[in-house]
Amino acid sequence: MGLGFVVGIIGGFLIAHAAFSTIQYRGELKIMEEQFTGPPFNAVIELLVGLGLCLWAGLAVPTKFLSILPHSDENRVVSLPANLDFMVFNHRGKVLPSNPDLKLKI
Amino acid sequence: MVGSGGASASEAAQLARLEEQAAHGGGGAWEYLCLVRRLKARRPEPVLRLGLSLLNDSKARSKLGSEEWTLYEQVAIAAMDCQNIDVAKDCIGKLKKKFPESLRVGRLEGMLLEAKGAWAEAERAYAVLLENNPNDQLLHKRKIAMAKAQGNTTLAVDYLNKYLEIFMADHDAWRELAEIYVSLLMYKQAAFCYEELILAQPMVALYQISYADVLYTMGGMENIQTAKKYYSSALKLTGGKNTRALYGACLCSGAINQLSKGRNKEEESSELQALAAEVLTKEYKRQAPAKVPIVTEMLKTMKLS
Repeated sequence: MGLGFVVGIIGGFLIAHAAFSTIQYRGELKIMEEQFTGPPFNAVIELLVGLGLCLWAGLAVPTKFLSILPHSDENRVVSLPANLDFMVFNHRGKVLPSNPDLKLKI
Repeated sequence: MVGSGGASASEAAQLARLEEQAAHGGGGAWEYLCLVRRLKARRPEPVLRLGLSLLNDSKARSKLGSEEWTLYEQVAIAAMDCQNIDVAKDCIGKLKKKFPESLRVGRLEGMLLEAKGAWAEAERAYAVLLENNPNDQLLHKRKIAMAKAQGNTTLAVDYLNKYLEIFMADHDAWRELAEIYVSLLMYKQAAFCYEELILAQPMVALYQISYADVLYTMGGMENIQTAKKYYSSALKLTGGKNTRALYGACLCSGAINQLSKGRNKEEESSELQALAAEVLTKEYKRQAPAKVPIVTEMLKTMKLS
């Protein structure tokens, strides 16, 4: 997870640097009074590389993704809770022999 | 993630594994007890045994800290379920010493009177508690459970209806009412209760299967067609892994074929029946190969009829 964080920070820094260099480039163009057609090629490459690194970090840093499929084993409900609020105690289990050793020691 | 409780497949497997492990002295008793509490499973014997082993061991008990009291409550209820009244009395005694004026302990005392079969005294105890706490849901539910335990199902239905008029969002109560109606053979009312449950929790396939069961039992072409739709929906939600839904789909298709024998058969897609039958035989081959001939025989008679 440490590596994921570092990669994420590097990716974020690259994107910020690309933005900054584009703003600088635009400033220079204003001085030379030319049209701003698009960011410089380097900045675009930097942006894409930063995007890739941030994506990788976003997927690698959280440890385990939860399943969203309703029929996967983690989500598929196989039994409902036993409705304990309405539990009655006079069931047939009364006639089963109870273990006399089970006692609470004060 | 799955609404008000209920065990998913992986959780049920984990529960069984922990129970197995703790039964053979492999530790993990506290983990098992926490899981039982979270899944609201009813397992009185292992809970009583493992809970007592933890409570009687003073070192383990001190490690629990404040959770010790929740464990006393859990063991008390399990003891009542196993008809071990002495253990229950001792646990409740300890809880009463620690929390003398508590409603929760008062409820447990009422439940103890119920377990002993002293209905009139339990009724009185609950009436006293209800005076001071008229809006406590669990007290109302205990009154309903007492009516059910004494066999007075009409009174239980009455109480439940009154309870649901106030607490309309209580899924457990709707489920209880549906089951009581089914036991009284009042299927239309049971279907209504299941419809409420499906509206509240549309992703739980088990309510849809129960609803489809009730519709299939009521019979009639429309009901069986609706039942088939709900079985198919349950199959979609569980990825075809629920055997009861598979059986339901096959039986509904068979019943529809039989009912529409006289009239001209509309082009119903018989794909569902064929696919469900196939998956069913595959499941049986995987899990119970000895029973496969019975299943294939039954499916053959349905397709012919």
